[in-house]
Amino acid sequence: MNATDAFIVVARTLHFAACVSLTGVFAFECLVAGRTLRANDAELNDAFAPRRRLSVVAWASLALALVSGAAWLAAVAANMSGEPLGALKSSTIAIVLTETRVGKDWLLRLALVVLLGACLIAWKRRARWSAAVGWVAFGLSALLLVTLAWAGHGAADEGINGNIHLAADLLHLLAAGIWLGALVPFALMMTAVQYVGDQGAVGIARAATRRFSAIAVTSVGVLLASGIVNTLYLTGNVPALLGTPYGQLLLLKIALFVAMLSVAAINRVKLTAQLDAGARAWQAIPRLRRNALIESAIGLGVLAIVGQLGILPPGLHTEPVWPLPFRIDPNALPTGDKILSAVLVVGVCACATLVIVAIAGRRKWLLGASVVGLIPCVAFAAPPLRRAIEPAFPTTFFASPVSYGAPAVARGAAIYAQNCAVCHGADGRGDGPAAAGLPIKPADLTEPHLFAHNVGDLYWWIGHGIGGVMPGFEGKLTPRDRWNVIQFIRAHAAGVLAKSVGPKVTSAAAPQVLDFAFEIHGAQDTLSQTLQNGPVLLILYVRPVPDARLRQLAAEQRRLAAGGLTVIAVGPTKIRNSPSGGAKLPYVVGVSVDVAEALALFRSAGDGGETELMLDRNGDIRARWTASGPRSLAPPNVLVADAQRAARFAVAAPNHAGHGG
Amino acid sequence: MKKIFAALAVGASLALVSPAAWAHAFLDHASPAVGSSVPAAPTAVTLWFTQDLEPAFSTVTVTDKAGQRVDLDNAQVPPGQPAELQIGLKKLPRGTYTVRWRVVSVDTHNTEGHFTFDVRGG
Ligand code: HEC
Ligand SMILES: [Cu+2]
Repeated sequence: MNATDAFIVVARTLHFAACVSLTGVFAFECLVAGRTLRANDAELNDAFAPRRRLSVVAWASLALALVSGAAWLAAVAANMSGEPLGALKSSTIAIVLTETRVGKDWLLRLALVVLLGACLIAWKRRARWSAAVGWVAFGLSALLLVTLAWAGHGAADEGINGNIHLAADLLHLLAAGIWLGALVPFALMMTAVQYVGDQGAVGIARAATRRFSAIAVTSVGVLLASGIVNTLYLTGNVPALLGTPYGQLLLLKIALFVAMLSVAAINRVKLTAQLDAGARAWQAIPRLRRNALIESAIGLGVLAIVGQLGILPPGLHTEPVWPLPFRIDPNALPTGDKILSAVLVVGVCACATLVIVAIAGRRKWLLGASVVGLIPCVAFAAPPLRRAIEPAFPTTFFASPVSYGAPAVARGAAIYAQNCAVCHGADGRGDGPAAAGLPIKPADLTEPHLFAHNVGDLYWWIGHGIGGVMPGFEGKLTPRDRWNVIQFIRAHAAGVLAKSVGPKVTSAAAPQVLDFAFEIHGAQDTLSQTLQNGPVLLILYVRPVPDARLRQLAAEQRRLAAGGLTVIAVGPTKIRNSPSGGAKLPYVVGVSVDVAEALALFRSAGDGGETELMLDRNGDIRARWTASGPRSLAPPNVLVADAQRAARFAVAAPNHAGHGG
Repeated sequence: MKKIFAALAVGASLALVSPAAWAHAFLDHASPAVGSSVPAAPTAVTLWFTQDLEPAFSTVTVTDKAGQRVDLDNAQVPPGQPAELQIGLKKLPRGTYTVRWRVVSVDTHNTEGHFTFDVRGG
């Protein structure tokens, strides 16, 4: 972490704390103090002077919000412009404030701070209006807090999902403000109760505690629900949770949250009851205050983590280092077992919850019943789950930094020939010259089984070897070259699998064609870019050029385009776009030698000189025809129908491994 | 009430609490394409990013093998295309050119990178 980052973390933490505290003060005033006090006589009301105490906290928080906000903005400006924080020019800050989106947000926040200041002055001066002013200030401070959801928060997901996610964020912040921020005011009120020290004060303490704890329970419920919604957006990302600094901090945050809840539970279960118990009520009040302050301190820790999380890249852009020697892969189970174990896992969780509820509520019979339920659930869930356990390595969940494209495959092919072919064979079938002398037969790298492994597993094996038979290449191949060779063996296996794809569009697991760049009419394009418009018919041919076929498709060009199908024809490179006599062939694109060689993996020798592949929007091969034999080429109307079928396959989630730059 | 509280405490351990999502602007694609070789000299370089950009802090330069600037120093985010960055080029002879960019996305995070392209014909 550099100095600017550390500065941002501190500024963010303080700013969050200030905004949370402001919201909490006004929430406490409007929802707790204002109500309990008004119900009692004026003398006590004066003695508490909660508004005086509260307004000191409010002013301090407001000042802190202003200072920490300014510091944060300066650090953001330094990061944006690339200037060191110490040498930040005032013109840079001016540009940030006037010309950027974040600057406009901050101007809005500044206006909120000014309005809150005005409210605080009015609050003190005009006792008659104080309830109304309190509510206005509550609204303003809540706005100041929830607009932080946009700070450092990009348009991470858009559309309906983005809105749900954003709504969850807003509620999460608001609930945190109301509960966490009101803890200090609550502690202050308990101090005042102790100071006054008569029976009326105890009555007020009792009423205030009841109200506060109702608000706390509601807020905790909202915090949980909104936290769970956010969890759903992270589903399938257990590796990022366990294996990245971001995820680990998040876990720490949850642990602190649970600690806060435990203290809150003691307040609620034990101390609130004591308040009703006449003589012992006096013991409860200082404890309530102490616990509220402990909760606040832990809450500050939570906010410090929030401050830190904002500057860490979340799981997506750091590779998760898997901490365990195994993982649970539900896909390894047959569907029946999968459902059974899912049901049982839910059962285990439910029983475990009941055990805790029983212990907390001191219900012996419930404890007994839930333990009796737990045992068979665990017993039945264990065997199928044991089968789903697979060995795992630190790199198991790494994504490839080199994309599945022609440059990587071409480079990987050369590496394979030099390092791997001796054992795995030139054709990948595990029958290289050195294979016979090995105690274990080298794996057949052309089997569909290859795709059952995470690329991160392959990466580990190629780096560290397998079982003492296959050597590790960590010292011999750079990380990038290890990824290149992985992309090659995947392309090679996909090419072998492609040969068994038939002329009918299937929904069976389909091998994927690698991405490649090409040139058409002097412009550059790529397969992945083209696939965004819909399915592609990829024609791979060798000399002689299949002139007649290309002209047949060209004659139907309108119909194919109307059906959403793009045709790309790739031949031996030397032909380029202008073969004999400069007469341009339709659909033929120019490609580099690398691309031509990589794509040759998807042709077979006996294809009569031409293979046609129907690609869905993922580039998966859904149907295949060759110019020879029974699987001869499809007429244009069939192609259109097939394209529409292929278009129905959902686009897989974007693969972040493919980023350029 | 006690039970509800205890149940909440358990639920909490399952809940992940509001991670602010983080989004950098990454280069999505470019014209001329990253690492490509084009037959005729392009008149501009256009970069498409995965996020909207802050025009005030987003720059791109194009240099030749000798490190000389060959762009027109007019980098801009075209109106209505907030995730695009464009810069005009001088007339390029055949050769290899390097595009360097440093952009700031609207959520204030900066990223930078570079790539090359070849011009085959003059
Ligand atoms: C000395 C011979 C040898 C060399 C060289 C070799 N391997 Fe292997 N490889 C093996 C053997 C033997 C196995 C099977 C190990 C086992 O099953 O325990 C294997 C297994 C594998 C697997 C696991 C496949 C699976 O589905 O489980 C992959 C992937 C692999 N090799 C890739 C490579 C790559 C890539 C290279 C070159 C960089 C390479 N190997 C070089 C002998 C070799
Ligand atoms: Cu295997």
